[in-house]
Amino acid sequence: MTEATVAETTAPSDPHDTSDEGEVRSLASDAWRAMRHNPLFWVSAAMILVFVLMAAFPSLFTRTDPNFAVLAESRSKPGEGTWFGRDLQGYDIYARCIYGARASILVGLFTTTGTVLVGGTIGIIAGYMGGWVDSLLSRIGDVFFAIPLLLGAIIFLVSLPEFFNNNYLLVVLKVVVALVVLGWPSLARLMRSSVIQVKPNDYVQAARALGASPLRVIGSHILPNALAPMIVVATINLGAYIAAEATLSFLGIGLQAPAISWGIDISSAIVGLRTTPHMLFFPSLFLSLAVLAFIMLGDAVRDALDPKNR
Amino acid sequence: MRGTTRTVAVAAMSAVALLAAGCGGGSSDDNTTPAEGQAGGEITVFGCNPQNPLVPQNTGETCGGDVLDQVFSKLVHYDADTAKPENDQAESIETEDNQNFTIKVKQGIKFHDGTELKAKNFVDAWNYAAYGPNGMYNGYFFEPVEGFGDLQCTGDGDDPCAGDGKPSAETLTGLAVVDDYTFTVKTTEKVSNLPVRLGYTAFAALPDAFFADPEAFGDKPIGTGPYKLDAWNKEQSIVLSKNADYAGDWAGKVDKITFKIYQEVDPAYNDVLANNLDIVTSIPASALIDDKYKSDLPERNAQKETGVIQTITFAPTKVDPNYADPKVRAAISMAIDRETINQQIFNNTRVPATGWVSPVVDGYKADQCGENCVYDPEKAKALLDEAGGFKGDKITLSYNADGGHKEWTEATCNSIKQALGVDCVATGVVDFATFRAQIGDEKMKGMFRTGWQMDYPSIENFLAPLLKTGASSNDGNYSNPEFDKLLDQAAAATDEAEANSLYQQAEALLAADMPQIPMYYGKTTMGWSDKVTGVKITAFGTVDYTQVSLK
Repeated sequence: MTEATVAETTAPSDPHDTSDEGEVRSLASDAWRAMRHNPLFWVSAAMILVFVLMAAFPSLFTRTDPNFAVLAESRSKPGEGTWFGRDLQGYDIYARCIYGARASILVGLFTTTGTVLVGGTIGIIAGYMGGWVDSLLSRIGDVFFAIPLLLGAIIFLVSLPEFFNNNYLLVVLKVVVALVVLGWPSLARLMRSSVIQVKPNDYVQAARALGASPLRVIGSHILPNALAPMIVVATINLGAYIAAEATLSFLGIGLQAPAISWGIDISSAIVGLRTTPHMLFFPSLFLSLAVLAFIMLGDAVRDALDPKNR
Repeated sequence: MRGTTRTVAVAAMSAVALLAAGCGGGSSDDNTTPAEGQAGGEITVFGCNPQNPLVPQNTGETCGGDVLDQVFSKLVHYDADTAKPENDQAESIETEDNQNFTIKVKQGIKFHDGTELKAKNFVDAWNYAAYGPNGMYNGYFFEPVEGFGDLQCTGDGDDPCAGDGKPSAETLTGLAVVDDYTFTVKTTEKVSNLPVRLGYTAFAALPDAFFADPEAFGDKPIGTGPYKLDAWNKEQSIVLSKNADYAGDWAGKVDKITFKIYQEVDPAYNDVLANNLDIVTSIPASALIDDKYKSDLPERNAQKETGVIQTITFAPTKVDPNYADPKVRAAISMAIDRETINQQIFNNTRVPATGWVSPVVDGYKADQCGENCVYDPEKAKALLDEAGGFKGDKITLSYNADGGHKEWTEATCNSIKQALGVDCVATGVVDFATFRAQIGDEKMKGMFRTGWQMDYPSIENFLAPLLKTGASSNDGNYSNPEFDKLLDQAAAATDEAEANSLYQQAEALLAADMPQIPMYYGKTTMGWSDKVTGVKITAFGTVDYTQVSLK
């Protein structure tokens, strides 16, 4: 089937390309057909759509200013004037949960894009070139792989200059950079092994024999056929990075007030665990749902891309 | 007082005898124990890691201070309830002019190693503390004594004591031993409250053993107090046992006190709930919410006002001119809703301040801050407009992020923001050391939090070190000649009432300048297990060990 792909289409990685349905189908269109019939995909896609809308246009969901405190009503319960109650400072928890989505989604998307670009590129180079280049890049990857993600991120974030606290985007960016620096080796390894798997195939050898440049061989023949595992892992990782952002913010070194993040809210609500647990419940719920949505999507994509599971 | 001590000793002995005989039940015949509990036995108390070796002249924090308070008795003892000073080791402290003091020490007091306490033990200890190269943390307490300046290092750089920087003298000229039990103190300027200061840990006497080997002494100090130190197991516990030779009036009831060292108060609190720890000296925030600790530890908790004040200080005018106008300062002060913040953030464990002096000291006068410390958003806004609005783009309130100050500073900023319509941001600085360094180097702009725990119970201790021109802890570089003059007059006053009234007049001047915004007076909250009884909190926020006993 993969040989047919090469023969038939020049843009096989486009998931929306369904024009060549029929006798011969691309890997992507095949996956799309499988996914359409998977309820897990629709549930997770709907949830992600809601979270992305929250991140882009929070005012669609609430008109309350998340930084307006009514201290006199601090720790009031859900229903007492607000949907989710108020937290320790008297902020509206519902508004904070909505506005908190932006940080999580941004960190998740940016980090995933970053790790895919860095890890993917390095993986392809290592896998395609082989020899000493492969050894060197793989060992560098091992060095970063050996550093535990959270521990490394803590050291990295604490040692960044004050400059990164200047505005919202920079604060988000510093968390992204920390996670990308420590997260790329797993994707690089994955990419390298799939490239090595695809490289000996006849169609690749044929293209090389016909004198195609390495860039063309990689771009048209190797990449489309080696991308599937990385897409799956990257989607699942997106959820994991959202959780990592919340963890770092919880520890007080990721995002910092006045930025709004679920992690920050969870951290400040922890004192009320025994008395007013709703302060802790709602941001935790939003965080869990967001992570779950991306992991479920990753699952659905894997089911679709992996022919063995059908 | 003496009689009471003796009955306690008898009770202690009978308890020991009962234990030795393995006799549990039939103690009703010789029941000499007082109703509130029996003497003897051992208790465990929350402890934390002392910052420095356990030398009284080198300990300025409560982790070591709580231990040293029991191991060392001082010339003067502060009453547990009222903080009123009374003579302990001092037979008499006399002065005619508030400048030349004659101190007579009681005879027959012994250190834990058996040597007798003499006048020279005080003079030697004080000279050692004041001598710059020794680097004693509490050295500054001896600043009023004549000759202090000659004992300080004068060099620059990393080691100011090297070479030419070496002090020109090794002993204070103001201290002199008259005979074995008498010594004199001469101060550079008049100090009306010197006797009040002498109860602070820094003024304790040290035995000859200290000077033989200061390092070993720091691990196992030898004092004169009601308890002696048995062992300091680093990072784990500090064990004290009763000093059988103690003849003073403030003996403890239990035989053994173990300070269990914790990193945080939450696990200690849980240990008290499980009866694995007897006394926890503060309550974690999670148990303060909705007064949870009161239902967790019914009848087993106490709260008391202590000599602590929380304030907000403005950066010196040359560092940040935006806050120079007293009207702007007063407007910010009026914009803070202290009552609601206390209720919602502190769960009523503070008292909104109405002046710059803690209510626990003699000479306190209420409402010295007047309407400037009363929440009134309309008036605050009007006052700010009258002053021409706020010049900067936003008000900042800095705090040290390692001390649990985030919540109240954020709430304070929200209150200011809503009342004045000027943006206010609470900014955390990574830890206390960095925070204080930025203030000391005059790099901190805007407002920052400041707190003061009294060293000794005197109104003077809340004014002179904090607000007198050039004083050591005058973070906002406040300078008011009239204020300084009143403080000098008060220090020279021979009559206590007159001195207090002069200090009060000085404090009243602060309302016009608002060099600091008074925020809260402190309270200490404690909880204890159901094994102990009689836990009382002193005015210093410590446990009164003369009252604690097992049930």
